[in-house]
Amino acid sequence: MVELLAPAGNLPMVEEAVASGANAIYVGPRGWSRRRDRYELSDDDVHAAIRIAHGGGAKLRVAFNTNMQSHEIAPMLRKMEGFVSRGVDGAIMTDIGAIAEVHRHFPSLSIHASIGANILNDEDVRFYRSIGVSQVVADTKLTLRELTSRKQRIDVGIEILIHANMCFTYLGKCWMSPYHRLERTADEYGKDLFKGSPNRGGLDYRVCLESWELYCGEEKWEDRVALKNDAFFLLEDIPHLIDLGVHCLKVQGREYPVPLVGRMVRFYRDLIDAYVASPKGGTFDVSPWRSRLAAIQAERDAARSHGTRMLLAEARQPVPAVPAARRA
Amino acid sequence: MNYELNTTIANLRDLRGTDLRDYGGVYLGDIYCRLYEANFLERLVDLEEGLRILRDQGKHAYVTTYAAPRNDFLPKLRRVLEVSAKAGAEAVEVHNLGIARIAREEFPQLPLHVGGFANVYTAAGIEVLRGFGAVRFTPNYELSLDEINEIAAAGGAPMELLVHGKMPLGVSDYCFLLEYEEKWGVKCPDLCQKELLLKQGDWAMKSLGKGILSGKDVCMLEHLPRLLAEGHRHFRIETVSESPAYRREVAAVYREALDRAGGGESTVDDRWSETLSRHARIGLCNGFYFGKSGMDYTGIRPNAMGSLLTVSRVES
Repeated sequence: MVELLAPAGNLPMVEEAVASGANAIYVGPRGWSRRRDRYELSDDDVHAAIRIAHGGGAKLRVAFNTNMQSHEIAPMLRKMEGFVSRGVDGAIMTDIGAIAEVHRHFPSLSIHASIGANILNDEDVRFYRSIGVSQVVADTKLTLRELTSRKQRIDVGIEILIHANMCFTYLGKCWMSPYHRLERTADEYGKDLFKGSPNRGGLDYRVCLESWELYCGEEKWEDRVALKNDAFFLLEDIPHLIDLGVHCLKVQGREYPVPLVGRMVRFYRDLIDAYVASPKGGTFDVSPWRSRLAAIQAERDAARSHGTRMLLAEARQPVPAVPAARRA
Repeated sequence: MNYELNTTIANLRDLRGTDLRDYGGVYLGDIYCRLYEANFLERLVDLEEGLRILRDQGKHAYVTTYAAPRNDFLPKLRRVLEVSAKAGAEAVEVHNLGIARIAREEFPQLPLHVGGFANVYTAAGIEVLRGFGAVRFTPNYELSLDEINEIAAAGGAPMELLVHGKMPLGVSDYCFLLEYEEKWGVKCPDLCQKELLLKQGDWAMKSLGKGILSGKDVCMLEHLPRLLAEGHRHFRIETVSESPAYRREVAAVYREALDRAGGGESTVDDRWSETLSRHARIGLCNGFYFGKSGMDYTGIRPNAMGSLLTVSRVES
């Protein structure tokens, strides 16, 4: 049975996702995942999230999917040890060095390669398998044919983003945001935070969504160029992905309101259950699901547009000369 | 003092048209697009010829590979590795870990240089990649010099640093320039040969269609004495889609500056400033080397480099 993996940016979202039918939940320890810190959890809250998830029959994974600094690997391992001792079900990671270290220290812990690892071809998958990864998130640009090849040729878990954002660039291979604004601070525990760099665990200012003018030399050729960027919900592909035997369907969205995430998770729970219960070999009609998804999408789009405007405005703010956390 | 100044050249035309006297090495190929004009990575006869030209000139002959190869790239990239090995490339640069794995499995004699898109952020990552035959590393561009020195010390590995030119910011599978072929009357592969800039206010990025680069030129000229003192010896001038004059003149500045810095001098010549200013339409930046936003410039000699910063302010 395919697993439905849901996001949680706070404890109420963990509860909502479990209640809405998620098989597994992922959370980010503060400072260590690809989201701004307000959507990450303290260690105590991660412990609570493990209890809530397990109490509802779901798994709990922790996302340590920043590209961390060398000296942060030791504290990361200590933090991981605390979560492992409390029964965390797996880790979502990006940095190959950190992955190798975690696999060495916790050989029985399931490690999933994050979307930020940008695993594009079958040989990439084999590389990550060789350092201890058991499941990989498929890049959002991959085709069903590429996924089929991967499923047929390699013994690896495949995770598909069914609600996410498809950027203009490959995720994990883009630093447009920190090029324009990077604010380095530190939290109360001394963990470096990189506001503006999603690869390093900070927020992404989404500068690609700016309304760009295009010049050829000094001459303006276009008043507005939009770099292709789509936030998407999969619908028609879901039956194909289940038939293909993918292991996990993942909903992203730690930054969205709790009720909206709950509706996303419930929608996909119902859709997956309906398809699995439908006659094998028959035709599964997704059209009745469209209107329900459209309502969720409209709500998501409104939240996302507002978020993008705020981020672009924030990206224009000057960076304090001395990082706030170090001024005292 | 021994050091290497190198660059990237995408095709035979540019290789033949460039005066390489101040470069010690060249990476052949364009990492962004299979349709880039006469890309060495798609024209293997050209690649062999390019490697021969570099060897004849006494240069370190390297081959780079695609930043984001999908499954359908792999057969051609295997051929690229095969030609590189047979034609005597000294190393192949990999940005993709799958390509590193293929090289290790099928061409174990080929030394690997790890490129900036491979996301080397940690010494532990270097250790993993050494197991795949990597001998030199371009750390991810987001790292500061302090962080680079930390992983260099811990990993005991030679780093290659971008010291000048437009810094890669991202790579896509989609060339949006193709949408404008008809309107502009310019077809692929000529589209990305134009100097195309995405601008908004004081923000600017250079577009190669699938590749996005910084609008400003990274410039570490003032900081060469520090880089040498910290043990760095491999320096890259990024010249993808730049003119032969850019390649020649910028390299001449850096060669002279490195020679002086290697001799203990730390002066910055006004002639150098003038040359670099002339080639930096949007201005200069330091990338992420000093822990700031990539488009910032941190001058250590404001008077000497003042003209460059003025250009940055006026034109951006």
